[in-house]
Amino acid sequence: MPVGPDPLRERRALEGPAPASLEVGLGHILQLGTYVSVALVAAGVILLLVGGGSPLAGGPAFDLPAIPGDIVALRPAGFLWLGIVGVLSTPAIRVGRALLGFARRGEGRMVAISAGVLAVIAVGVIVGVMAR
Amino acid sequence: MEVGLLLLAGGIAAGAFGSLLGLGGGLLIVPLLTIGFGLPLREAVGVSLVCVIVTSSASAGVYLQRRQANLRLGMVLELFTAIGAVVGGAIAFLLDERMLAGIFAAILAYMALSMLRGARRTAQPPTPDEASTATDEDQVDAEPDDDARTVDADAATLGLRPVFLSRMPFAAVASLGAGLASALLGIGGGIIKVPLMHLVLGVPLRVSTATSNLMVGITASTSAVVYLLRGGIDAYAAGPTAIGVFIGASLGSRIGHRVDLRLLRLLFVAVMVYTAVEMARRALEI
Repeated sequence: MPVGPDPLRERRALEGPAPASLEVGLGHILQLGTYVSVALVAAGVILLLVGGGSPLAGGPAFDLPAIPGDIVALRPAGFLWLGIVGVLSTPAIRVGRALLGFARRGEGRMVAISAGVLAVIAVGVIVGVMAR
Repeated sequence: MEVGLLLLAGGIAAGAFGSLLGLGGGLLIVPLLTIGFGLPLREAVGVSLVCVIVTSSASAGVYLQRRQANLRLGMVLELFTAIGAVVGGAIAFLLDERMLAGIFAAILAYMALSMLRGARRTAQPPTPDEASTATDEDQVDAEPDDDARTVDADAATLGLRPVFLSRMPFAAVASLGAGLASALLGIGGGIIKVPLMHLVLGVPLRVSTATSNLMVGITASTSAVVYLLRGGIDAYAAGPTAIGVFIGASLGSRIGHRVDLRLLRLLFVAVMVYTAVEMARRALEI
């Protein structure tokens, strides 16, 4: 039997406490994403400084397909760009995980808000790509 | 090598100062990179956004696990800060750098004045009115309170709902402004979001600070994506600065209780006034 939106649950979407397990999980995602990204950036910085490069000389432009090759060749740019992409992606991954958590609990309003945030980020990507 | 180590050291100083004074690092990183290292302002803003995300994501993770941040409120408001950030990221490349420098000078001058007022207030015993409207910076001076640290953020807003919901339209517009400011100036936007949640929505100060931290990640990353794809982020300059800011922010949170914050705040006001003057000179091409 189809079940309509639960008004009580919908009201709690903005007002009630978020489930503790969801918050703890999101906290882990933020911390793990940050530490992994910072470790990659740190590796890139070490390679850059050991190789005698200057941080103010102007690094190579962002080129996503070139990152794996740069990493295999131990070029600092690969590690730096992958770390920066990780830094920028971590908050969006947190929102995506929150969306799944709210969907599992049937909280339609919070699912829509999470989807809205992800849609705005996607618009940002489109704006950036179109202006290149 | 020397320049890289200097950038790292500058990042550590900016991160530690920002953490000790309850500010994001953005207000310090942009002047550090432009005045100290000669980077173009727009490039410095791109690097600053990366640094701001690093520090805010790490601390927001802790706040979420301790249930200090209000996840639902944060997600509602970050929808609007993200829209402001996309718009800001798009127009940042259309604005003249002199105009950006002028806006930055005005924000720094405002922050210096606010901190001076705060320093004067903490020199005297607070009246009940002042205690109830304490600012973000005041929170840093307070002794850590274990009960407050473990407060349930969502439960803390219980009882304020009718006011809270009726003021959401204003909060949405102000959040758009916070996103715009973040994208144009490379800051987290906490200087708008914390007073907005605390004073307008009636959210407790500690919860407002934690929730603002949570929102900074989405706000800054939305505009940082625009900067990244438009070539506004230099990975070589961003790397050492971000690592420095990360180390500095961690250090700041550990040594905060041992530092005379009143003296530090006055020193910081002097730095901000000098930086505001330098930015104003750039804006006016003097």
